[in-house]
Amino acid sequence: MRTIGRAGRNLVAVAALVAAVICWAAVGSASASDAVRLQQLPGHWRSDEGRDVELTGFEGHRVVLTMAYATCHRICPLTMTALQSIQERLDRRGEAADFVIVGYDPANDDAAAWHQYRKVRHLTRSNWHFLTGSSDATAELARQLGFDFWKYDDHVMHDSRVVVFDSHGILQTALGPDTRDWSKAL
Amino acid sequence: MFTIPRHTLGALLLTTVSVVALAVPASAIAAGNDADAIAVLQKKLDQSIKMIEALTARVQELESRQGGTVAATQTASTGPATQQQVAEVEHRVQQIEAANATRQQDTTGLPIHGFADVGIGNYNPYFANYRGANIGSLDFYLTPKLGDRVLALSELIFEVGPDGSVGTDLERFQIGYQFSDAATVWIGRFHTPYGYINTALHHGVWLADALRRPKFLNFEDHGGVMPSHTVGAWLTGAQRAGDGRVLYDLYVGNAQQDSGGTVFMQNAGTAHGTVMGGGRLSYQFTGGPLDGLTVGASAFTDKVDSAQTNNLTQLRVAGIAAVYDTDSWEHIAEAYVFHDTNLNGPPGTKRSTAWFAQLGYRGAWGVPYVRYERASLDQNDLYFAEQQFGASYYRSAAGVRFDINPKSAIKFELANTHTLDFRVSDVQYGLPEDYNEVLAQYAVRF
Repeated sequence: MRTIGRAGRNLVAVAALVAAVICWAAVGSASASDAVRLQQLPGHWRSDEGRDVELTGFEGHRVVLTMAYATCHRICPLTMTALQSIQERLDRRGEAADFVIVGYDPANDDAAAWHQYRKVRHLTRSNWHFLTGSSDATAELARQLGFDFWKYDDHVMHDSRVVVFDSHGILQTALGPDTRDWSKAL
Repeated sequence: MFTIPRHTLGALLLTTVSVVALAVPASAIAAGNDADAIAVLQKKLDQSIKMIEALTARVQELESRQGGTVAATQTASTGPATQQQVAEVEHRVQQIEAANATRQQDTTGLPIHGFADVGIGNYNPYFANYRGANIGSLDFYLTPKLGDRVLALSELIFEVGPDGSVGTDLERFQIGYQFSDAATVWIGRFHTPYGYINTALHHGVWLADALRRPKFLNFEDHGGVMPSHTVGAWLTGAQRAGDGRVLYDLYVGNAQQDSGGTVFMQNAGTAHGTVMGGGRLSYQFTGGPLDGLTVGASAFTDKVDSAQTNNLTQLRVAGIAAVYDTDSWEHIAEAYVFHDTNLNGPPGTKRSTAWFAQLGYRGAWGVPYVRYERASLDQNDLYFAEQQFGASYYRSAAGVRFDINPKSAIKFELANTHTLDFRVSDVQYGLPEDYNEVLAQYAVRF
């Protein structure tokens, strides 16, 4: 008679030990964005058209997400250009994705500001979404996804960062200043 | 103990299928609707087959992990050591998860951010009586979180002063309350709301595209002639209007003082309770063809005395400003008119002007800029005459900014400065009259 009794128990013990080691390493070094799911993030946002938006509503497609603020003229324009390159690459591959831009500065960047922002920069595709949330939701999303930022009066100090969720809403990859070619990272 | 003898598994599954099959209502068969009954049976049989296949695959997976040949049957003894080991590991994982969650939720710390810069050139960019390398400033910017509407910020700077020594300045220290986006009240020491640069580009040199401010708009202890800081109360806000926003500022504070050749903010109050006050109104276009343009006007009045003499000057200053700030361009222009009256000196109103215009292009490779600035300062106006850097001048400059990475930049500037007033005090200070500058600056944020 075949049994998996003792071997099964040993297997469980080894797996738990490995998980513990990984968790210890995670506490020390890994970013807060590991294995984050869309459904874990703050849910309530407003689009540039004034509609209420839930992040879980984007599940089913890959989601390319970044944060920006409308009066940033140094880093955010480069990030938008990079996102457009990613969009072009996905278009060539025939892959669908939602591009989500969350505002760093809800006090200054309301729906009207974002609406104007995307008009001026011709970022008007229907799969691009510019969202504004509360200060708390913005800070929490930034924390969970590793978007480090601080405000210097009306300026937002931040780096260029993009995270990608798969179609199940699970964080897949993060792109930053050290990523060589963002369009190829997917 | 967890065991699945294979023959027992097969028997269990067969029993399940049989039970499912027998669950078909006998009436359906009895009624003679053979086709429907057969269809129902077929469907249930398909489901059962899928279940059997899934269980079989799982057994095979577990057996393959076990690594091959049949092992001798083990008794029910699970090994207390193994159970204890598993329990310990599970407990440790729970502890780690709790600690990690706690660390991530800890918001009691006060993050310290700021800026720093150093430079090198044939002249010090602010004090032309010095040459060579210079420490610019180390700027610590703190914004403690005090609640949803209570705001606070402090900007503590270590910097080199006109005498070449390193000093500490609490450049800004404000505590405020935000009623709404349209109204925030600040009390403390703040940047006086006039023009554009003084409230848009603060002490963090990294933030500006240009290497330095226009000379007359420098901070008081860096050669500027305007009261860049005010200690008092400030109401500010913005309101959406049409295709843009209306921005307003109203403030009142301690009158400044000429002290040791520079404008002094009187952080502890004034000896005579004199006040200064002013306001600014601007419109920021956020739509249409003028998107990125902000225009505004400002005015303030001040009564500035002197720490060294009995001079007392009534300042009346009006200014206009325009800035075109987009992803590709940064153009800035400001102009001021002074109508000052010496209350203890030469009578009459003294009229002075100061203005600059800067054009900048934001390219992917760098930001080149050019600037022209001119200050015509009546030396019969004792407010300017007493200041170390109060001479009239004009300056032409061209520079470029390169971003090494998102947090650091190198800037270069070539400039020619021509002093228009001959003042004995300038000679005593060692200030050159006409000079060409080649300057470099390394600026960071953290």
